[in-house]
Amino acid sequence: MEFSSRIDLDRRSGGRWAALNPLTWLGELSETRYWMYLLLLPSAAMLVAVVLYPTLYGFDLSFRQYRLTRPDLGTGYVGLMHYKRILTDAVFWLSLYNTMIWVTLSIVLEFLLGLLAALALHRNLPGTRVFAVMILLPFFLPNVVAGHMWSLMLDSRMGVINDVLVNIGLLDSYKAWFVSPVTAMGTAIIVEAWHSFPFFTLLILAGLKGIPQDLYKAAQIDGASGFSQLRLITLPMLKTVIAAAVILRVIGLVNSPDLLLILTGGGPGRSTQVLSLYAFQTAYRDFNFGYGGALAVVMFLILMIFAWAYIRISKVNRD
Amino acid sequence: MANIASHARSKRIMDGLSYLLLVTLSFICIFPILWTFLTSLKLEEDIVTSTLQYIPRRITFDNYVTLWQQSSYPKLVLNSLIVTTTTIGICLLTGTIAAYAFARFEFRGRTQLMLAYLVVRMFPAVMMIIPLFVVMRSIGLLDSTIGLAVAYTSFLLPLFVWMLKGFFDAAPKELESAARIDGATRLVAMIRIVIPIARNGLLATCVFVAIAAWNEFLFALMLTTSQGSRTWPVGLHLMVGEFQLPWGMLAAGGIISILPVIVLFALVQRAMVSGLTAGAVKG
Repeated sequence: MEFSSRIDLDRRSGGRWAALNPLTWLGELSETRYWMYLLLLPSAAMLVAVVLYPTLYGFDLSFRQYRLTRPDLGTGYVGLMHYKRILTDAVFWLSLYNTMIWVTLSIVLEFLLGLLAALALHRNLPGTRVFAVMILLPFFLPNVVAGHMWSLMLDSRMGVINDVLVNIGLLDSYKAWFVSPVTAMGTAIIVEAWHSFPFFTLLILAGLKGIPQDLYKAAQIDGASGFSQLRLITLPMLKTVIAAAVILRVIGLVNSPDLLLILTGGGPGRSTQVLSLYAFQTAYRDFNFGYGGALAVVMFLILMIFAWAYIRISKVNRD
Repeated sequence: MANIASHARSKRIMDGLSYLLLVTLSFICIFPILWTFLTSLKLEEDIVTSTLQYIPRRITFDNYVTLWQQSSYPKLVLNSLIVTTTTIGICLLTGTIAAYAFARFEFRGRTQLMLAYLVVRMFPAVMMIIPLFVVMRSIGLLDSTIGLAVAYTSFLLPLFVWMLKGFFDAAPKELESAARIDGATRLVAMIRIVIPIARNGLLATCVFVAIAAWNEFLFALMLTTSQGSRTWPVGLHLMVGEFQLPWGMLAAGGIISILPVIVLFALVQRAMVSGLTAGAVKG
């Protein structure tokens, strides 16, 4: 009885062996209403394992004593101890302040450079494709190489930037850019802007393509100058794109300590110590996972405000 | 008439200014790479000199040879290749079908799930790294190329899905509908029709993820501890402490490592840029 019904099934799906063919049985599965969920299952499971679980684990860690170098202290719960410590931790507040400076100035510079590059590229002059490749390239280069290339150029003994500045008379002698707190932060911001301004170029360029040309034609008939066209048409039309780009950059900059880790390591003193770097070093150098975890959770909360803002202004919800 | 003439003139001025700007910016963007390349061709004693040599007076490939034969660089590059390939493999296997599901189906929870895939990318790296270190240490994946690749999927898989979804969205639906009318299952339509149509987008997405995995530094620094699984960005960075700032070798290592990035970027630049911006602007 059972045997004959199986043969029946085989015949229906086109032969005895067809049932073993994954295209056949998966094909049948694909006609069910759960198909899309099945398609999402592998990636969702992956993300649960590598994101959701670690995140919850991280939250848990932030309430625990967890120091790899002090196994004698155990890994018991310490309540809000780490969070209380954050409130009175001068380095935390300094890092927060430095993060704000680092993020704000970097983004202003990146936006201005990115806008100028996008406007120039958008004119589609002959050779634009070659220029676009060169201008967008830094964004795709690794932080490690970007950092070391600039360290090489800024070196206080043989840096080419020092040499050029001395030769054209802007500097009296070679300067150690990463030794004084003010120039350290300023220089790091310039390197960061070099690395990431193409991101703004990319997004603004995409936004510019979406502005109807009629608007400009109408403005020309009305005799509006190039600058007022920029101010009255281009920038307002790009508002959403610019806001999206700024928020994504804020998230990227708050998130990633890579470049500062390579260029300054947070120094001199703590003048370029940002929040992400502080959290990373607490974990990587001091192996204090509990406190590092609490710092990361604070960063997470700050970032989620920006993530929320991004979702509000972008069209994901209306997609 | 006068108006048209002045308009043409102002256009010429703007074109001129644009060229000036493009040339300046391109120079600024390329110069560090050029300078690093020139440095990599210099003898160590020609790098630190009383008068800076802009064009190396003596050209040598010693830095490349030493790097490749006397340091662990080949091993580092091999590890990076393994990590990058594994990351792409995981993304292709699990991400392609997810992107397809988001692009083609309406279902309950779709928006929420897409938002989740988006927000995950914005989680702080440090917050992921600490727990991943603890978890991977306890299951023996710490300091392994597989473990690192798995860790990379935490931010690269959502990126892959979002970017590829954009390309699937843009792929025409007519062929797919025709195949369905001819009796093809959804599965067959996806494999035989949709994925081949979107292959350029798939390639661009893979290249973007490959570059990101190849370049990644922070996770690798924390999650690899030995020669066996260390990737090139970590190795290059640690070289600074290991030797006394061997600028020539450092420069050579940098140039070798960014060469594949530059070539890949130049090749699929257009498709990659369109995919990136679509993903970022729309969400």
